[in-house]
Amino acid sequence: MVNRLGPTTSICPQCKRLLGAQLLEREGRVVLSRVCPEHGLFEAVVYGSAERYLDVQRFSKPGEHPLERQTESARGCPHDCGICPEHAQHTCLGIIEVNTSCNLDCPICFADSGTGPQEHGFSLSLGQVESMLDSFVRAEGEPESVQLSGGEPSIHPQILEMLRAARDRGVQLVMLNTNGIRLARDPRFAPALAEIGVHVYLQFDGFSEATQLAIRGKALTEEKVRALDRCAEAGVSVSLAAAVDRGVNEEEVGKIVRFGIEHPAVTGVFFQPVTHSGRFRADSDPLDKLTNPDVIDAICEQLPEWFRADDFVPVPCCSPTCRSATFALYDGEDLVPLPRLVDVEDYLDYVTNRAVPDLEVREALEGLWSAKAAGGSGPVAERLDCVACATGMPPELREVAARGFMIVVQDFQDPYTLDVEKLRKCCVSEITPDGRLIPFCAYNSVGYREQVRLELSQANGKGHGARR
Amino acid sequence: MSSPGSAGTAALPAVEELLAAGDAKACCSALYEHPAVRWLLGDELHPGGAATTRRALELIGIGAGDRLLDVASGTGASAIVAARAFGCRVAGVDYGAEAVRGAQRAADAAGLGDRVSFRVGDAEALPYADGEFDAVLCECSLCTFPDKAKAIAEIRRVLGPEGRVAISDVVVDPDRLPAELIGPLATIACVGSALPVSGYEQLLAGGGMRPIAVESRTEDAAALAERVEDRLRGARLLGLDRASGSPSATGAALELVAAARRAIADGALGYAILAASPR
Repeated sequence: MVNRLGPTTSICPQCKRLLGAQLLEREGRVVLSRVCPEHGLFEAVVYGSAERYLDVQRFSKPGEHPLERQTESARGCPHDCGICPEHAQHTCLGIIEVNTSCNLDCPICFADSGTGPQEHGFSLSLGQVESMLDSFVRAEGEPESVQLSGGEPSIHPQILEMLRAARDRGVQLVMLNTNGIRLARDPRFAPALAEIGVHVYLQFDGFSEATQLAIRGKALTEEKVRALDRCAEAGVSVSLAAAVDRGVNEEEVGKIVRFGIEHPAVTGVFFQPVTHSGRFRADSDPLDKLTNPDVIDAICEQLPEWFRADDFVPVPCCSPTCRSATFALYDGEDLVPLPRLVDVEDYLDYVTNRAVPDLEVREALEGLWSAKAAGGSGPVAERLDCVACATGMPPELREVAARGFMIVVQDFQDPYTLDVEKLRKCCVSEITPDGRLIPFCAYNSVGYREQVRLELSQANGKGHGARR
Repeated sequence: MSSPGSAGTAALPAVEELLAAGDAKACCSALYEHPAVRWLLGDELHPGGAATTRRALELIGIGAGDRLLDVASGTGASAIVAARAFGCRVAGVDYGAEAVRGAQRAADAAGLGDRVSFRVGDAEALPYADGEFDAVLCECSLCTFPDKAKAIAEIRRVLGPEGRVAISDVVVDPDRLPAELIGPLATIACVGSALPVSGYEQLLAGGGMRPIAVESRTEDAAALAERVEDRLRGARLLGLDRASGSPSATGAALELVAAARRAIADGALGYAILAASPR
């Protein structure tokens, strides 16, 4: 049976032109469907459960304005990004890709990076990164979080200076997105990150050799564990970031959580269904893509003694179908997901209309869900906000819990799944050297990545990434 | 609540003392007034929350303009649900003065002060005239009343000739109830002196009432037991019980809940709505 869930706008994955599109309920899932007059029909599954897709919409809340917008509306969303006046959310997380070079050649890479000479490769200078950070500060005031990425940012010769530049500008959470190879091999690297106060976002897709070969082209468990041990020793906190692909490592999500929760350096796990951006498996089918509910169900099936699907709460900052998160309290023996201790639904009432006055215990617990981790305590309606965007844990949780742990399931959009209405609420942006903030899913879907890369490789003709 | 500032972190000394003194009624009302208990159970303080309340009221066909009495009205949450969802006028009676004040504040804050009012009273001697109500609601509290027959007789007395009563309560199979669910703590936790469905039917019959409907809500009891267990474990993980100085109480409560969950799974413990009217 097919039901129409509503019209939206999408693009042709090939020519990128804007197309009217339909969200359809098909076999219990949500499918985005549109026809390009030149390239034909394109369909992709965007949410694995139509019932839950409708259910989570109530978590949607109005966005906030950035202090500054960098572009004008001209061609229409998503072709004016930067952020333009049509965008309906500020940026919680700014990403700066400092290079295109890498010390791995993963079969899957949305950034299309690698070890060899890179077509239109680049390597940013410290000055470029500083000016990008300044643009972000102008837009956000006190930015919540910045992630330096690549390529493999840890092999950039000035990566530490770049991280320090972010810290010096008052960014509350400075992250390094890395495969961990340098952390494992260079004993001075983790202490240097600790000294600056950097949180590591470590690629960690699973333990089986087949998984690692499929996703990374190399078995790296030993190096990952050494990297984590060095982080623990140096006092660097780490989020594990797992790309999850159907038929590859769905069966390992529970193991990854178990491993992370026991490792002293790890404060959380981010699961990201693999997208059809950059390099991806040639045989992957957009109608067979994993989405958030599939990953949540896999976690719950593999860890039934710990989690239920309703422990994962949609994060209302972006579209509620983009990201679901949970916090778990853990003391080495017992584990309780925090949503079981608070009435999460209460946050959804903009006007609280409760029969009983608020209790201090409830407020204390609810404070754990608050945006304080990401700076400032907003009104109740805004509390569920940015915690899950800005990785790590609220400090309150660290104080009260013997051990708190965060699990985030984050589905990014690609040229096949891009829903322009959803994109307007995106709160993760790529920062470009000319000072634009381009919503992450637009950057990877609409052609911005290729455009920025071409411009950079031409302007930085002598940059070390462009060897030809 | 007089001291919301101490919510959740205060021990339950009143409950322990009253339990020792054998004053079950005062003990129950003190327990269910306590903020920590409300946090554990939810504002409705009974399995199924507002959904079960609405279902019970549907089963007795409550309508706009009906006069409804809520016996053991607690936080007032059910009375407010009734007034809001069905448009009836509601009187709530509770043994605890604090609960009554809090419930009235909640009703006033909900803008229902003209249709919903509360007063202090004993279910075994209701402070209302004969035939004053079209309907009576009594949720998850009959099982805690020491003299159940007297409470039923009182409910019958205040009902008019066309009246209906909805009782939702814990049901047990007394032959299969494990030993740890029998005793004073279990009694105020609504289990120790609960009856089988037939026991409630006999009570109602003894009070001159005939059954209209019986509906099992055992899945609500299972969900509530899981919620209480999760929150007790959470309180222990957060160290809230250490702050209260009574970690052993958390341990005892956890054992009680674990026994209750086992009994629910075994079919020895459940929850049901019974609807009845005077014959």
